[in-house]
Amino acid sequence: MNKLPLIFLGVFLTFASSWVGLVVYPYFALGRMQPLPDEDTGGFFPPSNPGLAVAGQRVYAANGCVYCHSQQVRRAPLSTDIEKGLGPRQTVARDYLRAQPVFLGTMRTGPDLTNIGVRQPDANWHHKHLYEPQTVTDWSVMPSFRYLYRMQEIQGQPSANAVKGLSGPHAPPPGFEVVPTDEANALVAYLLSLKRNYPLPESPEPPVKK
Amino acid sequence: MTAGFLLLIGGLVFLSGSALFAFYWSVKDGQLDNLGEAAKTIFDDGEPIGAATDKFPSRK
Amino acid sequence: MKPHSLISSFNPANEPDTLASHERAEIDASTRLPVLLFFSSAIFWLLIGSLLGLISAWKMTHPWFLDQMAWLTFGRLRPAHLNAVIYGWASAAGIGVGLWLMARLCRIPLIHSKLLISAAIFWNLGVFVGVLGILAGDSRSIEWLEFPGYATPILFVAYAFIGIWAIIMFRFRKPGHVYVSQWYLFAAFLWFPWLYATANILLIWQPIQGSAQGAVNWWFAHNVLGLWFTPIGLASAYYMIPKVIGRPIHSYYLSILGFWSLALFYSWNGMHHLIGGPFPAWMISASVVASIMMFIPVVTVAINHHMTMRGHFDALKWSPTLRFTVFGAMTYTVVSLQGSSMAIPSLNTLTHFTDYTIGHAHLGLYGFFSMMMFGAMYYIVPRLTGWEWPSATAIRWHFWLVASGIILMVGSLSLGGVLQGLALYDPQVSFRSSLDYATPFRMVRGISGFLLLAGHLVFAGHFAVMLLKIGRRREGPALFAEPSKPEAATV
Ligand code: HEC
Repeated sequence: MNKLPLIFLGVFLTFASSWVGLVVYPYFALGRMQPLPDEDTGGFFPPSNPGLAVAGQRVYAANGCVYCHSQQVRRAPLSTDIEKGLGPRQTVARDYLRAQPVFLGTMRTGPDLTNIGVRQPDANWHHKHLYEPQTVTDWSVMPSFRYLYRMQEIQGQPSANAVKGLSGPHAPPPGFEVVPTDEANALVAYLLSLKRNYPLPESPEPPVKK
Repeated sequence: MTAGFLLLIGGLVFLSGSALFAFYWSVKDGQLDNLGEAAKTIFDDGEPIGAATDKFPSRK
Repeated sequence: MKPHSLISSFNPANEPDTLASHERAEIDASTRLPVLLFFSSAIFWLLIGSLLGLISAWKMTHPWFLDQMAWLTFGRLRPAHLNAVIYGWASAAGIGVGLWLMARLCRIPLIHSKLLISAAIFWNLGVFVGVLGILAGDSRSIEWLEFPGYATPILFVAYAFIGIWAIIMFRFRKPGHVYVSQWYLFAAFLWFPWLYATANILLIWQPIQGSAQGAVNWWFAHNVLGLWFTPIGLASAYYMIPKVIGRPIHSYYLSILGFWSLALFYSWNGMHHLIGGPFPAWMISASVVASIMMFIPVVTVAINHHMTMRGHFDALKWSPTLRFTVFGAMTYTVVSLQGSSMAIPSLNTLTHFTDYTIGHAHLGLYGFFSMMMFGAMYYIVPRLTGWEWPSATAIRWHFWLVASGIILMVGSLSLGGVLQGLALYDPQVSFRSSLDYATPFRMVRGISGFLLLAGHLVFAGHFAVMLLKIGRRREGPALFAEPSKPEAATV
């Protein structure tokens, strides 16, 4: 008596069906998707990102922003994302073509960041916020990412890239300044690149509800 | 062709093949006969049905 | 042969001097080294993992806590916690229980134990490198797959040893029925490498493009729970419950049906983590349907275990194994039905993106799986060492600390999660309110973490004492005592 074959059979067949549906299918259907050419400018939707923003994804991954921030705008009535201003339209597969890895996220301890580059286009704001979130939003539970910044003594002229307007317990004392590391610069470039303000035919913008 | 593509196709062929092969064997073998007895196979003379085999350690 | 106790000599049914008992003692002894290696490393990672989890939990309400160093940031501690408990604790404990069950159910002494000892060493090395890698900033931030690309091959090597061993054992088993636990175990041992290989290749080594990553990610993460941990947990329950109370499983037919329906429906479930996400609608719908169909395997298991236990519930008082196992089995029913309900889109709108999901995950991995593993360890370890657990009190403390801890944790996260979800959904309510609602519940969850950690310390200490052979020698190759002795009947 050898029951091995039957076990093999069932295990493989049942499991294989999900594998085909959830792995092989997306591999071909979603994995081969191309950006749409934009006839007016000769560019693409979604637009390609500057190299610094691409590097910023690594920083985003290394520091686990994804455990508090999602990056997906869901349609109504599953959610009120659009009404809440997280983005003008539902995000669809094509929106994520250039993301590596894809930070869809499963938690919204913090706000969705799909469209943060539109909502908050000021790099200095992001630096200030990352340096000490509670000085920007006093009720925030976002941790400080001060370790992505360097505090240094001002030599002659203040550095051009020093973070401006810092306050709170970790603000630089007089004669000192806070400058972003390469990692912080990459991270902020990445955040600024998060924009879903281009049109995609498969995801029309719903009319604004009043 | 990417490695991923080969992995997926290769995997599929391998899986379907082994599944079909396995199916052939299992039908010939007459599996799953006599299910009722199977539940008792974990008991034997040393630990027969009716004998409990666990307890809190006794205190001394 | 060790001398029998007086009590066992009075009861002919408990007469240990049979061939079967010799064989069983020999089989148990043959598994000693590999199983104890997996168990002790698992308990080590359980302590590390619960500490990491506790710190992460407090960081969610106190963001300034330990915020000056990169490796202590929330976004690294949380995945370090998850991976330490998934791979370091739960998988290793499951493998240990699986090895022992395989040997017993194949009815042969464990062969090639060197293969398994190497596997244990490699496995722990992989987890160690992976957790350090996450803390050092190499996390991939792909949930359940955060280990950097240089750690996973080590785990693969370890796993390959175990897989090869499982096939050899199965080939050399004594003829006879293949018991349902073995179906579950064998399936788990086959599923895991496929899951893990596919996910690692398509997400880490040769990443596929775009949102397909999300599909592969959740296909993996959910299946690790459903097709790796769940079958091992159920294999243990299907063995422990009948063995402890001395009564065959109520309906063997139902157990087999439950096995195949689990295999069929579970593997499609994962996409319910991405309802509303950037995927073709049919993928999500298929997952929602499959998640709801999970009702079938879950209810078959629940009925079966309940009917087996019927009339024997007083055994919960005298058997530590049973107490943990039945807690786990009941939680399995609850957590699975909860999971099915969370896939229903109208309920999902409320719980998606909230702490409710975290509560659900802990109920599954802790309330169900970890409790099953504790129960199995209480059964197995005395049979490997030939020593009784030194202290009934320690077992009771362990049980009540972790049982109240997990109930408090899941309760608080579920309530807080629903309030958070209501705030996130209502366009009139600010984002800030979603935090304000959740915060007090997160504090309670932080407290529950202390209970769990305390329970784990009790357990780890007890286990260490036992390994050092403090306490009493067991009387014979198995426990042959009258179970309903009054001294053991206090809760
Ligand atoms: C512990 C959870 C947590 C982690 C981890 C976290 N955040 Fe946040 N984040 C929040 C919360 C809560 C808010 C809302 C309050 C605020 O603005 O600070 C927020 C707000 C933000 C905002 C402003 C959003 C808006 O709409 O105004 C940005 C940008 C942001 N986070 C980026 C990041 C980045 C980048 C990381 C990783 C380096 C990160 N966050 C990690 C919790 C977190």
